[in-house]
Amino acid sequence: MITAQGLYKRYGAKVAVDHLSFEVRPGMVTGFLGPNGAGKSTTMRLMLDLDNGGGETLFDGRRFGTIRHPMREIGAVLESKAFHPTRTARNHLRMLAAGSGIPFSRADEVLEFVGLTDVRNKKPKGFSLGMAQRLGLAQALLGDPQTLILDEPANGLDPSGIHWLRTVLKSLADQGRTIFVSSHLLSEMALMADQLVVIGRGTMIYNGDVDGFVRNFTQASVVVRSPQAAQLAELLRRVDGATVEELTENVRHGVAAAVAAAADGADAAVADAAVAEDAVRAAGSALSPGLRVSGMETAAVGELAFQNGILLHELATQTASLEAAFMTATGESVEYRAHDLDEAPPGGPQDGPPAAPPVPPSQPGGPTPGGAA
Amino acid sequence: MSSALRFEWVRLRTLRSTYWLVGIGLLITAGVAFIIAYATRNEPLDADIAAQVLTGGADFATFIPVFTAIIGIFSTGHEYRHGTIQPTLTAIPQRSRLLIAKIIMVSLCAVVVVALSLVINLAIGMIFWGEVPSFGEPLNEVIPGYFVLVVLYGICGLALAQLFRGVPSAIVVLLVTPLLVEGLISGLSLVPALDWLQPALKFLPFSAGARLLATGPYDPQGGPDFDFLSRWASGGVFAAFVAIILAVAWYLFKKRDA
Repeated sequence: MITAQGLYKRYGAKVAVDHLSFEVRPGMVTGFLGPNGAGKSTTMRLMLDLDNGGGETLFDGRRFGTIRHPMREIGAVLESKAFHPTRTARNHLRMLAAGSGIPFSRADEVLEFVGLTDVRNKKPKGFSLGMAQRLGLAQALLGDPQTLILDEPANGLDPSGIHWLRTVLKSLADQGRTIFVSSHLLSEMALMADQLVVIGRGTMIYNGDVDGFVRNFTQASVVVRSPQAAQLAELLRRVDGATVEELTENVRHGVAAAVAAAADGADAAVADAAVAEDAVRAAGSALSPGLRVSGMETAAVGELAFQNGILLHELATQTASLEAAFMTATGESVEYRAHDLDEAPPGGPQDGPPAAPPVPPSQPGGPTPGGAA
Repeated sequence: MSSALRFEWVRLRTLRSTYWLVGIGLLITAGVAFIIAYATRNEPLDADIAAQVLTGGADFATFIPVFTAIIGIFSTGHEYRHGTIQPTLTAIPQRSRLLIAKIIMVSLCAVVVVALSLVINLAIGMIFWGEVPSFGEPLNEVIPGYFVLVVLYGICGLALAQLFRGVPSAIVVLLVTPLLVEGLISGLSLVPALDWLQPALKFLPFSAGARLLATGPYDPQGGPDFDFLSRWASGGVFAAFVAIILAVAWYLFKKRDA
């Protein structure tokens, strides 16, 4: 169990980490998400006493610096190529093992585990990023620690490597270990993490489970395409609570000449359904001007069109993706901090500590685990 | 502490440059010893010649000190150059403990290298001398002075690289200060209007440090005319210089982000 309380770091006038408090619980993978520059690495460095700043991080109740052989309890990798280019992978691990009272034989075991046995006596200066990441994971696992802190461990791994990493982390979590993994890629975390800590500009955006994150930061919308889009938009705008946005991406991404030509046809033929049909058949439904409607059920949009005799080419509910949620959440973190965050995410935190956003330091940060001594 | 020392020991011995630096240092010093011993083969063996052969040049013997300083520079500088400070500090988060381990290991390395070099050079000298030199004046002070000087150089390199958190700037300071800066100040003191600089010359750290290997009193030989402090006081000047750099580096290491 990791308990971070009021982590704070400032570089000059810029606040990099602004009173972050969260918990990382054992038995699951906790993803640490944020766009580049959000303060993920700085937060991890603060947790490991590598950076000086405010706040406190307790690992099962103890500060990092007070643990006798921290590598045996906390495996951490913050940089992917943190090794001397001419010291072999095996010697790199033996060196760290020597510093932590870990037997040398363990270096070979972890190298075998991450699949680097063949290159264990090679100089790592020729290692690809993927190999370096594997060596990093070997380093983290060297002391068979109960807690893992990994900064972007999937960077540079090929798809099979990512799959392997995911499996490894999941199985380590299943053994009851505490896993804290950062990433700026949602897709990765969606498959890997059970819990999320999402930050933007150094402040907490969300802390809870993955589904809760999507619920909190996405609104389902309806995509509708019609040759009479303008008319439909007019009607939709009169509906209370509905917002309408014209879709332009098909024109922009245009399927080259055929689409362009057909689109011209469609424009001219708004009054002439037959021509429009032909045009549509020629270039697919991509032609019809589209609208994105939010704040209305899909069925209601369809009924409204039907009642007004408007021809529809497409009517679809757009499910919000995790990616979209991420963009919404982190894109304007300040704005979102003002709304959604201060209200505890509904449904999210029954199994996690309450989101502990900018309610700075004195806030106890939810159920602090016992064992602090 | 023992873990930190073991860590440093493995770090030092798994680095190829350690072997290169020690090997080349020993070889060049042995070469100098050979040249001096050969050139003076027909002269009666006196303490001066013995000191010059054993140390590979006495007060101009700078190879082993400089190479040891580079070993010291690598001990801290590599941590930053290659980003290993992060894994190192996650294994040994107590920064003072880590730095002490580095100082001890570099010092031990310095002592072993000096001892090896003395044995090798003695063997070379014996080829020409056919007898063991008497270890009286000034050898009884030059040899301990040699150990002290090389240890101080090693710590100086370590402290400089820790201060600059990198290798290149530490090497530049290590080489430029004795060669250019101290030479320049000595040279300026020869200008009559600047002769007030002369009393300060005995406090130039690297020049003062070299007095640890001196076989006789300072001879201006057309250079600035002044008197150094005694051998051990001069060594103290160099030690104080090293201590100041180390103290600043240590303080910043504790205070700064890793």
